[in-house]
Amino acid sequence: MSAELESRAIQGVELAKKAGADEAWVSAEQSRDVEFEYRDGALEKVKDTTSRSLNVRLFANGRYSSHSTTDLKADRLQSFIADAVAITRALEPDEYRKITPAELFANRPSDDLDLVDSTVATLDRDRRVEWCKALDETSHKHERVISATAGVYDGTSMSAAASSNGFVGSQEQTYCWFGSSVTLRDQGEKRAEDGFYAGGAHVADLPDAASVGRIALERTLSRLDSEKGPTMKGTMLVDSRAAASLIGRLLRPANAGSVQQERSFWAPLIGKKAFSDKLTIIDDPLVPRGLASRHFDSEGISAKPIPLVENGVIRNIYVDTYYGLKGDMTPTTGSASNRRIATGDKSLAELIAEVGDGVYVTSWLGGNADSTTGDFSLGLRGHMIENGVIGRPVGEMNVTGNLRDLFGQLEMLGNDVYPYSSTLSPSLVFGGVDFSGV
Amino acid sequence: MTIKRREFLGHMAAGSAILTVPGFLTGCGVQQATAIADATPENPFMDWFGVDQGTVARVMSELTANGADAADLYFQHTRSNTLRLEDGIVSSANSSIDQGVGLRVVIGEQTGYAFTEDLTLPSMLAAARTASAIASGSRVAAPQSFSPAATGKLYTTTVPWASVGIDQKLPLLKYVETKAKSLDPAVEKVSVYWADADERVMIATLDGRLVTDHRPMTRVTVSVTAKQGDETQSGYSNIAAREEFGWYKTERLDTMVQEAVDRTMILFEARRPPAGEMPVILASGASGILLHEAIGHGMEADFNRKGASIYSDMIGKKVAEPFITIVDQATIPRERGALNYDDEGNATGRTELVKDGVLQSYLHDEISAKQYGLKPTGSGRRQSYKFAPMPRMSCTFMEDGPHTKDEIIASVDHGIICETYTNGQVQIGAGDYTFYVKNGWLVEGGKVTAPIKDVNIIGNGPESLKRITMVANDARLDTGGWTCGKNGQGVPVSQGIPTVLVSKMTVGGENVS
Repeated sequence: MSAELESRAIQGVELAKKAGADEAWVSAEQSRDVEFEYRDGALEKVKDTTSRSLNVRLFANGRYSSHSTTDLKADRLQSFIADAVAITRALEPDEYRKITPAELFANRPSDDLDLVDSTVATLDRDRRVEWCKALDETSHKHERVISATAGVYDGTSMSAAASSNGFVGSQEQTYCWFGSSVTLRDQGEKRAEDGFYAGGAHVADLPDAASVGRIALERTLSRLDSEKGPTMKGTMLVDSRAAASLIGRLLRPANAGSVQQERSFWAPLIGKKAFSDKLTIIDDPLVPRGLASRHFDSEGISAKPIPLVENGVIRNIYVDTYYGLKGDMTPTTGSASNRRIATGDKSLAELIAEVGDGVYVTSWLGGNADSTTGDFSLGLRGHMIENGVIGRPVGEMNVTGNLRDLFGQLEMLGNDVYPYSSTLSPSLVFGGVDFSGV
Repeated sequence: MTIKRREFLGHMAAGSAILTVPGFLTGCGVQQATAIADATPENPFMDWFGVDQGTVARVMSELTANGADAADLYFQHTRSNTLRLEDGIVSSANSSIDQGVGLRVVIGEQTGYAFTEDLTLPSMLAAARTASAIASGSRVAAPQSFSPAATGKLYTTTVPWASVGIDQKLPLLKYVETKAKSLDPAVEKVSVYWADADERVMIATLDGRLVTDHRPMTRVTVSVTAKQGDETQSGYSNIAAREEFGWYKTERLDTMVQEAVDRTMILFEARRPPAGEMPVILASGASGILLHEAIGHGMEADFNRKGASIYSDMIGKKVAEPFITIVDQATIPRERGALNYDDEGNATGRTELVKDGVLQSYLHDEISAKQYGLKPTGSGRRQSYKFAPMPRMSCTFMEDGPHTKDEIIASVDHGIICETYTNGQVQIGAGDYTFYVKNGWLVEGGKVTAPIKDVNIIGNGPESLKRITMVANDARLDTGGWTCGKNGQGVPVSQGIPTVLVSKMTVGGENVS
């Protein structure tokens, strides 16, 4: 299959050159996805699809544009690419729009990332339904359950890319996820809801489906009788799952585009101590079986681990070819892979004991952050921590502050990395945080 | 390059396309599949997708070979274009074509779904067999031909986007940039993002209907970064509609640009409000986000048929003051959330969620309507052929109430006014929802005092509805380009509201210790 996709990409480059492009980057993608949903004892939805597309980046007369299509019929494709070249020529020239220099293709790693599990292709209806039933059974084991939906999602994605300056490469990855969402009868008309999903590149890495259903139920049960917590300044413990999305918010402005466009609070801090010395973040595309592992990025730059933050000092940001040239920065990669956050040495229970009193955040609800200033305000759900133990469930609260200040107040990290995310973060403890509630 | 206003208007009126992307109906290389029977007159949508009545009938027959209560084929072709102006030049464009057919079979509450981007008969038949595997009954009688439904008129255009060249769009982006820079010397960077799309859908249903719809869409966003001393602030504004190029009148663009610059410059003075519970005034227009999150999602019948919404047992009950009526309506011409037909081929309309304070009706797709024994409300929507439809909102708004904006402000001793928003979210079961306020004001002693920024607001849907104690008479729909995401599917929506007072909500902010 990868050979067929590669030849499709190479043909695309030829078509683009023939249509008048000076340089071209073409990627061909294909994926197979299967989705089963099983609700309250019955199969509710089966979706089984194969999808493909062709993506083209063109450089002509110092101009640039990008295009994609799912219509791969030969004659349509030819006119699509001809139109694409015409669109490119109608734009304004930009001296920084250049195809990725071939030297950035060099030293492509050959590590076996083990991203393909051949058993995924052999999964059949019976196996998926068996998982669904196991999830369904354990996530219903409580008299307050109103409804529970179990889901299984698996598939394979493949892509190949080729460029007019010599790049050819292909990547393939399998995935398999399952879990369930649970709704419980709570006070009055309220329903408590939560869920849990596990997944990875390999079926063998998945926990037992029944245990995943059990965790989904337990997480939801812990939400019952949730109340609004106090308005206060205090310590915040963010569990490893919720930490992944908080790290994502911190890193959103950590790219050359935002810096060059003066919309990044990271800009004046590059090369400086910006955060707590306990914070170290590495973008690592070479994690075996990693959810975002790869040998090369979306413009062909060879993959390598990139330290973003080391002991609170900003070492690198995400830099692609275009903004690298425009902003005079050396390209690293324009797109994130796995983020590894250096861990601490305490278990979650030890963190809770050490915090003593504060708020334990298990998930976020809405909120946002301003990339230019770092100001943020987020809705949260979780529990109060009282006398070193987890107390009553709280929700309908906000936490508000500035991301730079917050990560300056990072006091402790756990040793409990959440495995089902491409951001591999432990639980995080922050001091002096503003909460709003009652 | 600077364009004076008159020149700009000239460009808008006279620009003939040097570059015209081939139109939907003029594309070359259309192939007809083998005709079996073609009882209806020529249908340009069928021609484009390279199918005819016979092909569609054969695929439908295959799709329903193991039984079906309902089934549909959803053919879609979307051509989208984007342009970006940055650092004074338009040097980035994107075009994309998304074409495919989604095949769905429904038995009771069970759905089988497949799609293919290869519109040849063998490929469509294979996808039909995949989707039909959910069923294990016996073949139902599929129609031999499909009757075209009347074409909708909510967003008819005279010039399709495919015939508007980049030479016409480019001066518009330049104008927006120049205008933004002219409004305040502190403005350092301006970027302008353009999007237009022509979407065509053709839906063939098991009961023999053939619905076609041409859905144009466009949006312009301007982002501004300004500097004062060491401080940098950025803000943005956008406008969106199911419209054509001529909609972009200078006045409309000027209003958008002024908003973006105002929203950015005020941030230099704005502070965080004190944290905690307080009265919240929601300004008219974009504050309709309250309705979307606090009640709209909870009224989508897929959650309710599972008993999973906080509103599941509340139909017919009083949920708000008697002067409150909340509506979801897809039939408002040219709005971003407007639809002639939903994505199941059903006629759209007006659904009262709350009438005079009483909860009235959920938003139904065919599956939920059947379960409740009701007619669908035309609310079955999907992001694209890649997804099965589900109940969704369209244009959600509250009607005018008996108060005035001034009365509302005067009634608040310590609180805030919320004006602009970036996003919101809701938990359907618990009813807790949030929205993020980018700009607003403190209200002290019944007067608007200082600007505020960047606070999340959190509340509980039914509780907030009960706490809407005043509703003004200045209802309007927001013109921003809102997209609603649910279960991984994004669809365009509109929202609106008059100025309202919610007597108590939890506002993110700082704790004065």
